Amino acid sequence: MAENLLELKRCFPENRLLLGPVDLLTYGYDSALDRALPEAVVLAESAQEVREVVRFCLRHNLPYVARGAGTNLSGGCIPSRGGVVLSTAKMARILEIEPSKRYAVVEPGAVNLHLQKALEPYGFYYAPDPASFRVCTLGGNVAENAGGPRCLKYGVTSQHVLGLEAVLPDGEIYRLNREDSGPDLTGLLVGSEGTLGVVTKIWLQILERPACVRTMLAGFSGVDSAIQSVSRVIASGIVPRTLEAMDQLTVRAVEEFSPAGYPVEAAAVLLVEVDGTEEETLQEAEKIERICRAQGAFHFVLAQTEEECERLWEGRRGAYAAMARLAPNVLVEDGVVPRNRLPEVLARVQEIAARYRIRVGLLFHAGDGNLHPNIIFDERNAEETQRVKLAGYEILKACVELGGSISGEHGIGSDKREAMRWLFSSATLNVFRRVKETFDPRNLANPDKILPLPDGKASGVSRPHGEAAERLFQGLREAASQGRRVSIRGFGSRLPSTPSPEAPSVPAPFAELRAPAGEPEAPSVLETRSLDRVLDWDRENYTVRVEAGISVASLREILAAENYFTALAGAGSLGGLIATKAVPEIRDQILGMRVALGTGEILELGGKVVKNVAGYDLAKIFYGSWGWYGLILEVILKLYPRPISVAPAKNQVPFSPHLWHRRLKAALDPAGIFSLPR
Amino acid sequence: MIPPLYDAVSQCNRCGYCLQACPTYVLTGREAFSGRGRNQIFRMMLEGRLPDPRQAQEALSSCLLCGACTSVCFAHVPTAAFVLEGRRRISGQRGSLWVRWLFYLLEERNRTFRWFLRGAYFLKRLGLSRLLSRLGVFRVLGWKAIEKAEEHIGEVPLQFLSEILPACSMHPESDSDGAGCAPRYYFAACGSNYLYPSVGLATWRLLRPGEGVLRYASHGCCGLLEHHYGRLDRAQELAKSNIQFFEGRAALVADCSSCAAYLKSYPQLLGQEPDWAARAQDFSSRVKDVLEILPLEERARSSRLGDRRRERVTYHDSCRARHGQGIWKRPRELLQGLPGVEFVELTEPEWCCGGAGTYAFVEPELSEEILRRKMENVRKTAARWILTSSTSCIMQLRWGCRRWYPEGKVLHLVEFLSGYAAGAGMLGDSAARQAR
Repeated sequence: MAENLLELKRCFPENRLLLGPVDLLTYGYDSALDRALPEAVVLAESAQEVREVVRFCLRHNLPYVARGAGTNLSGGCIPSRGGVVLSTAKMARILEIEPSKRYAVVEPGAVNLHLQKALEPYGFYYAPDPASFRVCTLGGNVAENAGGPRCLKYGVTSQHVLGLEAVLPDGEIYRLNREDSGPDLTGLLVGSEGTLGVVTKIWLQILERPACVRTMLAGFSGVDSAIQSVSRVIASGIVPRTLEAMDQLTVRAVEEFSPAGYPVEAAAVLLVEVDGTEEETLQEAEKIERICRAQGAFHFVLAQTEEECERLWEGRRGAYAAMARLAPNVLVEDGVVPRNRLPEVLARVQEIAARYRIRVGLLFHAGDGNLHPNIIFDERNAEETQRVKLAGYEILKACVELGGSISGEHGIGSDKREAMRWLFSSATLNVFRRVKETFDPRNLANPDKILPLPDGKASGVSRPHGEAAERLFQGLREAASQGRRVSIRGFGSRLPSTPSPEAPSVPAPFAELRAPAGEPEAPSVLETRSLDRVLDWDRENYTVRVEAGISVASLREILAAENYFTALAGAGSLGGLIATKAVPEIRDQILGMRVALGTGEILELGGKVVKNVAGYDLAKIFYGSWGWYGLILEVILKLYPRPISVAPAKNQVPFSPHLWHRRLKAALDPAGIFSLPR
Repeated sequence: MIPPLYDAVSQCNRCGYCLQACPTYVLTGREAFSGRGRNQIFRMMLEGRLPDPRQAQEALSSCLLCGACTSVCFAHVPTAAFVLEGRRRISGQRGSLWVRWLFYLLEERNRTFRWFLRGAYFLKRLGLSRLLSRLGVFRVLGWKAIEKAEEHIGEVPLQFLSEILPACSMHPESDSDGAGCAPRYYFAACGSNYLYPSVGLATWRLLRPGEGVLRYASHGCCGLLEHHYGRLDRAQELAKSNIQFFEGRAALVADCSSCAAYLKSYPQLLGQEPDWAARAQDFSSRVKDVLEILPLEERARSSRLGDRRRERVTYHDSCRARHGQGIWKRPRELLQGLPGVEFVELTEPEWCCGGAGTYAFVEPELSEEILRRKMENVRKTAARWILTSSTSCIMQLRWGCRRWYPEGKVLHLVEFLSGYAAGAGMLGDSAARQAR
């Protein structure tokens, strides 16, 4: 390393290339417990400099880890294998604010709060508000796909990232826009924790500030009635801006340190906030009060002034603070379950806490089913730390068992790598690994994160196929074994009627894989229309799992008959709607997906939870894939109690795969089974 | 009970919420220059994980000790205390022979010290020190800090405060002004005494409507400088002598927030000494920063200024007032309530000015960057008056104004209020001259 560093020294001044032992030690930690030591730290100032560092690392086979503020809670920015830490602290500018077009452009080191402040004079704001928003960087938010209380209504970071500039592991700078035709790589990079590249510029969607925000607090004598109220509120058609809950231990800890007027006798409290016009919010607040009272709330306050509102929030924000004062360390666990399973998981958490003799304060984004058990301990006590870690794992296991996930917003990092096995099947994990290898064949970009080591066995279950799916899958396997190509067809409503001149043939590298020379035979068609069942309509949880061949029109009808809605428009099949990007709004309504690959593997992505940052967001690359990567068998969609406005479906033309699309093709469909429609 | 240092530093759980509060981190982007970084470095020192503790020197000496990190920390981890302790462990007594000699004079041979200062001031007044500085004499002697100080200190007084104020002797039993109101003792901070006697005089005028209400008795230094230079033992000695000196019922007022905050921190300083902990606690509970006791309502009413003029005023929080003592609302309330005064809030009012005692002299590059940001914010307010409450801030902000904002006038809040109470005259040219 030492002699190689000369190269870096030529590129960076002393105050931006840190090599001193103390400096290196301070880049070896984040907010979690893992530690490692980098060999150099670079404070880059531009995308070009980031590229220089990535190329330097490529030349010398050194790992690199991008780092923002290091407020990470899962060990995601620990330089596990040494190498270079690429700090974005000096790339902190807000480059552009364009209120008329509703976007802002920032550098990755820009602090979330600074963007909020810069947007204030324009009457705008940026929705994701992780607890660390005062210090965390937007680049870090992108890497982790950060959430926050407001994400209940406005969605996590991924929904707000319009485009990215990134240095990918091949050492080149790319610009990605989620509206580009073809598979959505922007969505794939968000939440990839720096393992697929280093983001150097971000285009973010910004929102107009609501005219009015109302904050209220309700106290319940039972946790169940609090959660019941949450479900009823959502079912009533109100989408609160935030819907936060705290348990008694947490409330008492808060009130002890900095009284915020929370009822200490309550078993659980809900902090609810609605936004909209003056009148709307007042009506909604009244409705929420009625619902809470009906569920047995004995305490209900609607903040009348800004100060009162602030005070209520002080209580919520003080929750972590109060725990932090009780002991040197707080493990903020991050699990997520379908909303209606919250009472069960809370009971499990209490049981686990008792068994491991740990103190847990519960804090959760109740509206999202995202729970944060705050476990206090002292890391200097190795035995206690071990118990805390094990308890944390058991809590995650409980979440998985209840149909949830191991991370709603903190990411996997190095902490939860092993837990990935409980959530995903071996096949899915293997595909994740191939995606990582595709982007980063030398495994230099933040190695040892997200993915568990390939040795152990994954226990994530793969559900059996339905009859129609099984037939299609058989057909696919047959085609694969005979080296035949297939193309997917639903209702054919979006297929180009005549072969369009731009429609590309299968790119050269894959063409070579097929033996027969001369006239390439036409691909056989996989008809998905038989995949037409509604598999799991969770009315309480507002999700539905359907087979992908189902007709959009009939799905809408079925749902609307019971007052359930989602972002659907146009005709044809649901899978077709997704694969052709015909309705952009649907991108963020997809919670899960089941996909059959040409390799015979079945990918199981996401689940019935509205927030989930475990693993790569591969569903995004099937969105816009035109059936080129695999066959979408099932889709899990988020539902609403009210119609949501959707632009009419647009007929798109198949995309021309660019370099990275083609590279991904090699990872997902190495034999080139799937062909683009002609 | 003050927790042992290792427990205290372990309370930092590396959440990083202090990063954006720390001026040195914001400017350099270096983790080692942040509150969290310094906590971890100190922790590693205690755990013996630093190959050579001296490697921590840069990170620790670059700390302003402003306490902004502790203010935003959920667990109120006292980073500044770790930094001081870390510095002490690295170099024992910090500062050159020359600095130590100055301390010796200040504390043990005060008369000589004053003569020495007078000599230096004489040079300053004649412009000779400037000349020496230009000729590079200080640099040749290795006195870079002196050269910086020469540059920063704009004006020097002819008479020290302790020579102006009528000193009384301490008689705890006579601690009553006859009307049943206990008198207060004025604690003359070094800054007010040796550099800005006008601050002390303003305090004197404001708080002394009648005889005996405010008294002055010649006393020793608070020990802040000693502590900052790593001489903990000596700081403790000074603290004890002050505690003894003011033992009894007497309440104390200090008009330099750094000094007041330090006097209030004696319990932490002496927390491990059973004989002294309670006495220190008692002493500290009697210390008031002048900001806490300004009798303002009457001043406003008695003002002859009325609404005739609008004086645009802004306020810079001394770190030792805001972060050290939690005082920041009151000065604003006072200023907002004054007729004829237009108070404009500063952007980042809690951002340190970079003065930080002798920081401006020993870390000139970082200090200047910190000050430049402060002055940029000051400029945006377009205020004529920049008010604050520490003498170190006054010196630094005046230097900043001379360089980047000549139309601004820096005063201690009490100076402004005293002049305000006296009528429009204060806001005229004489005050402007005073605040040069």
